[in-house]
Amino acid sequence: MNEIYFVTTDNFKKLLSELLADYETFISSQKGGLQYFETLDKENIKEINPFGHRTFEPLKNFFFRAREIVAEDFEDSIPADRKRPLCIVGAKSCDLKGFLVEDLVFMNHDYTDPSYKLYREKSLIISTDCTDVLDTCFCTALGLDPFPKENFDLNISPAGNGYIFEVGSEKGQKLVSDMKSLFETPEDKHLKERDSRRQTVKESVNKNIKDNDIPTYTSYSGIIERNYNSDIWKDEANTCVECGACNTVCPTCHCFLLYDQQDESKLARLRVWDSCLIKEFALVAAGVNPRPFLWMRLRNRFEKKFDFFHKIANFYACTGCGRCILACPGKIDIRRVIRRLVENE
Amino acid sequence: MNKIKNPYRPIKAEVIDVITETENIKTIRMKPSEEISFKTGQFIELTVPGVGEAPFTPSSRPSIKDMLEVSVMKVGKVTRAIHELKKGDIVGIRGPFGNGYPMEDFKGKEILIVGGGCGFAPLRSLMYEFFEHEGEFKKLFFRGGCKTSKNFLYRSELEQWAKRKDLNLELTVDEVNSEWNWKVGVVTTILDDVDMDYSSGIAVVCGPPIMMKFATKKLLDMGFKESNLYLSMERNMSCGIGKCGHCRLGIYYTCKDGPVFRYDMIKDYPDIWD
Repeated sequence: MNEIYFVTTDNFKKLLSELLADYETFISSQKGGLQYFETLDKENIKEINPFGHRTFEPLKNFFFRAREIVAEDFEDSIPADRKRPLCIVGAKSCDLKGFLVEDLVFMNHDYTDPSYKLYREKSLIISTDCTDVLDTCFCTALGLDPFPKENFDLNISPAGNGYIFEVGSEKGQKLVSDMKSLFETPEDKHLKERDSRRQTVKESVNKNIKDNDIPTYTSYSGIIERNYNSDIWKDEANTCVECGACNTVCPTCHCFLLYDQQDESKLARLRVWDSCLIKEFALVAAGVNPRPFLWMRLRNRFEKKFDFFHKIANFYACTGCGRCILACPGKIDIRRVIRRLVENE
Repeated sequence: MNKIKNPYRPIKAEVIDVITETENIKTIRMKPSEEISFKTGQFIELTVPGVGEAPFTPSSRPSIKDMLEVSVMKVGKVTRAIHELKKGDIVGIRGPFGNGYPMEDFKGKEILIVGGGCGFAPLRSLMYEFFEHEGEFKKLFFRGGCKTSKNFLYRSELEQWAKRKDLNLELTVDEVNSEWNWKVGVVTTILDDVDMDYSSGIAVVCGPPIMMKFATKKLLDMGFKESNLYLSMERNMSCGIGKCGHCRLGIYYTCKDGPVFRYDMIKDYPDIWD
C-alpha cells in the first residue's frame, strides 16, 4: 500500500513553486474545453487545474520528442539539449501506460536510447485522476482505470479543500520527506470523496464502452492472426489518407527515422517521428516493398499494437486514450476496428 | 544489454580503396578509426556524411579488425553517393548489428551455400570464415547464380575457389554475354548434384527475394529440414538496434533478431518474400 497524504490548495501551490527551482515544469491546463500541457511559471501557478481528462498531446512528446538530435559529427557524447530535468503535472492513467511501451522500446530492448533514458530518469511524474471523460475515452476496455495506479512518482486526486497525494516511487517519497511541512495526514472523508469520484468517473468510461459496444481486452487474443487476410483492412483503409496523424497523437507509437543534416561545420543526425502508414516506410533498396498497399500498412499499425507487443511483452499497446479517433480525418475509429476484428470469427 | 554509449553515433572510417566489381557494384575498402570486430553475417550502417546511411553486410574477413569491405550495388540515394567515394574520403560506420551466422552450429556438418547476385557479398565473408577454419566442417558446397556472366560479382575470386579441395563449387547465369565456362540457368537448376545428406545438412541462402523464395522451395523439396535452412532477410534496417520499427518481420526486428533467420522461425509469416 502506497503512502497517502493530504495537501491543501495553498500548500500545493507552494510545492509547485519549489519544483520550479529544480525542474522545467509542464502542467495540464484547460483551454476551450480541452486539456493541454503548458509551461508552468510563477504567473500561471494561481490558476492551475491539472485534472479534467487526458491532454490533447500525448505524454511521450516530452521524452521521445518529434525531433531530437541524437548524434553530432563523430562524437560519442549525447547531444540531448534539455538542460533541466522535466516535471510533468497532470499526466493521466492512459499516458502512464504509454510509458510501458516507450520504456520497453527505448530503454529495455537490448539497446538503450541515450536521450530518452536521460530525460526519463531525471524526470518527475506527478499524475492526476481523471475528473471527467471525453466521449472517445475507453481506457477501461484495456483494463485500465481512469486514475493512475502505477508508473508515477506522485499522484493527485482532488478532495475537500485540497488534494490527496499518493506516493508511487522512491523519488516521490523523497520529495515528500524534503517538504514534510506541506503534507498532512488525510481524513477518512477525503479518501471517501476520492474513491466515490473515482467510481463515478470509471462508470462514465464504462458507459462509453457500453454505448459504443467496445469489446474488452480479454477478447483480443488472436484477433490479428485470425483476420490477417480479412477484408476489414481494405474496407477500413478506404478513407485513410496516409497522413500519420494517428501515429503522432498515439502514446505508444514509437517509430522514427534517422535523418542526417550537414552544414559547413557540423554533421547532425536527427531522430524524427515516422509513420508506418506512409508508403515508403518499409521500402528497401531496389524498390521492394513488403507493404505496398495502404491496407497492409493500416494492418501493420494494429498488428504492432494488438499482436507484436502482446507476443513480446504480454500487453496490448493501446491505452484507450481515444486520441487517434479524434485525429483521423478519414474517421477510422479504433473502437470500431477492434469490434469488427473481435466479432469476425 | 548492450553497453554502447551512443548507438546512433558513427565512428570515422577512411576509404582506402574503391574496387569496381561490375557495371553497378563497387567494393569499398575502409580503415575504421577504432577496431571493429564483427561476426560473419552481421551488418554495419555505413554513413556518407551529409547524405545518410544504409545497411551493408561486410564481405571481408571477420578476423581482420582494422579493415573492412562492403560491396554496394547502386540503387538509391545513399548507394549513389557511395559509388562517388574516392580514396581518402571519410565515411561513418555504426555497428556491427544483428546476429550473424551461427558458426558453432555449423561445425562438423555438411554445408551447402546458395548465393545469388549481390548476395555473394555476405557469403564471401562466410566463405573466408569456413576457409580459415578448414577441417571443422564436414563438406562444403557453393552454388552461385547471377543474371548475366558479365556482371558476375567476385567472378575471378570464385574461379580461384573452384580449385580448392575442400570446396565443391558450381556457378550458373541466366544469360551469357561474355566468356563463360559454367552452367546456364537459374540457381535452382544446379542443386541436384550436391552430394550430401540433405536430412542432416545445413543450407545457407542469400540473394534477391525471388531467388531465395525458389531456392527455399527447392531445398525443402530436396529434403533439407526447415530448421537447417538459414536465410538472410532483407528489410529496411535503419536504426540497427530494434527501435525505429521499419524492419519488423512478425515478432522480430530484422536488424536485431536477424538478418539471418532459420526458415522455421519465419515460415508462418505470409509476406516474407515480398
